Amino acid sequence: MENLSRRKLLASAGVATGAAAIAAAPSVAQAALDHPEATDPSGPPPEETIVAYVRDIKRNEVTVMSGTGEVTYRDPVLVKRLVKAAPASGQARK
Amino acid sequence: MSSHREAPEISQDPVADNTDCYAFVSPDKPDTVTIITNYVPLEDPPGGPNFFEFGDDVRYSIYVDNDGDGKPEIEYQFRFKTKLRNPDTFLYNTGQITALNSQTWNRRQFYEVTKVNHKRGKSKVLGSDLASPPCNIGPRSTPNYPKLANAAVHRLDSGERVFAGQRNEGFFVDLGSIFDLGDLRPLQNLHLIATSPAMGVDATATLNVHTIAIQIPIKKLIRDRSVPSDPMSAKAVLGIWGAASRRKTRVLDKANDEHAESGPWVQVSRLGNPLFNEVVVPMGSKDKWNAVHPAGDKAFAKYVEQPELAKLLPVLYPGVFPRLAKLKAKRADLVAILLTGIPKGIIPGFQNYTGSVLADMMRLNVAIPPTKSKPSPLGLLGGDAAGFPNGRRVFDDVVNIELQAIAGLTYPLVNPDYKPDDACSAITQGLTPGKNRYQSTFPYLGTPHNGFDTPAGPKG
Repeated sequence: MENLSRRKLLASAGVATGAAAIAAAPSVAQAALDHPEATDPSGPPPEETIVAYVRDIKRNEVTVMSGTGEVTYRDPVLVKRLVKAAPASGQARK
Repeated sequence: MSSHREAPEISQDPVADNTDCYAFVSPDKPDTVTIITNYVPLEDPPGGPNFFEFGDDVRYSIYVDNDGDGKPEIEYQFRFKTKLRNPDTFLYNTGQITALNSQTWNRRQFYEVTKVNHKRGKSKVLGSDLASPPCNIGPRSTPNYPKLANAAVHRLDSGERVFAGQRNEGFFVDLGSIFDLGDLRPLQNLHLIATSPAMGVDATATLNVHTIAIQIPIKKLIRDRSVPSDPMSAKAVLGIWGAASRRKTRVLDKANDEHAESGPWVQVSRLGNPLFNEVVVPMGSKDKWNAVHPAGDKAFAKYVEQPELAKLLPVLYPGVFPRLAKLKAKRADLVAILLTGIPKGIIPGFQNYTGSVLADMMRLNVAIPPTKSKPSPLGLLGGDAAGFPNGRRVFDDVVNIELQAIAGLTYPLVNPDYKPDDACSAITQGLTPGKNRYQSTFPYLGTPHNGFDTPAGPKG
């Protein structure tokens, strides 16, 4: 239920294409997620960004903000991925 | 000061720092209420080339509670947008600014006013692309400043009048004396660390501020859309306060010289009664106070009931406040003045009670007409029911009023057997603000000081 709600939020914020592509090719997507690739930003941030942050690692809580909305989910998989992708403190990841 | 730089976090965010809130029945249009909220404390007039302005990323709010629950039924929101004509000059203006559309005025601000009806959950944009005036640069750049400011008073189709821009700082205070261990001029000879008495110093006399002012027909604010004429009627009393909010996150992308914001609006500053957060709420709770609404002020009531300043005065002025030193009871007088309003039966013919909800709001009884002949800057303490703490006019001496009240002068309102110390009524800043500080028409704060002549150069 929590994942469904999160997908609905992301879809309403205009990132449904990416989510749909992952659903259509789960094995490829899973491989990409297992090995996140650091890259340079492709352009300036949009005027209204979607911002997510890990609020509480122990409770697997991530807060997602879009527009003036804000929802906190408990999503162990997402939190694990974000923690894995995060650079060490003070380091720029390349 | 009233609420200038009064809390650790907001002291680092001037454009969102709500410094003063005024609310009064307009003396020249008594069927309206004028509400003023000021921002950007301590503006030094020559502070260019990036002169003072509102924050494009701040949402400024004026709240009105018309049923006494400490929550707003009506909100006016102000959002600003800065426009730059010429990015290739460092100058604010490249020639004289003689009109709001002068091509030589490089960096301008425009704003949108939205009214939110919280009871119905509806909002409506009342005005867009409303021009703010420039800052008062000097006689060459802004040769006729009053004309520019008058042009920036906008009448909205919905009946309100609005102004947003630089004005003369109306709040007057001997700041240096208060924060130097409460060494109140001219009472220094009575202080624990005594010096010779001297006249008060008006620390804000040459400073400007940024003002958001709105004049609203009274009937638009009253719960049943009437114009109350009976001061004893509960519906005649409005609770009013100002606030500023920022988005929860801001993403800085220096690589692209851009930034973006996301998330809900988070309140970072608010102000109802002057000096509440400044001298009543302790340092460790000030930021939290700024972030909550008045309906939650029960949590701060203990600081009103036993104000720190009332304990300090007898220590700082040995032997001067002996009765105050012995007063241990909860200060129900201050709770009434600051958190509930003064109920019927305390002061003949007057009340501004909003009920039992403890909430720091400016309480204005709109059925009390403005005092046109010799209004007292001491407001209710001076026998003038049209002044603070019945709302607040621009010239009310709120520092003296609150110092005297905290020193015990108002405690007999709830305990007639208490006799205040003789020194209570002797407390004075000894300040009389200059005439140019105010004006008789909207927005009531005077023309801002210009940067060329302020501060004045050496004489001779």
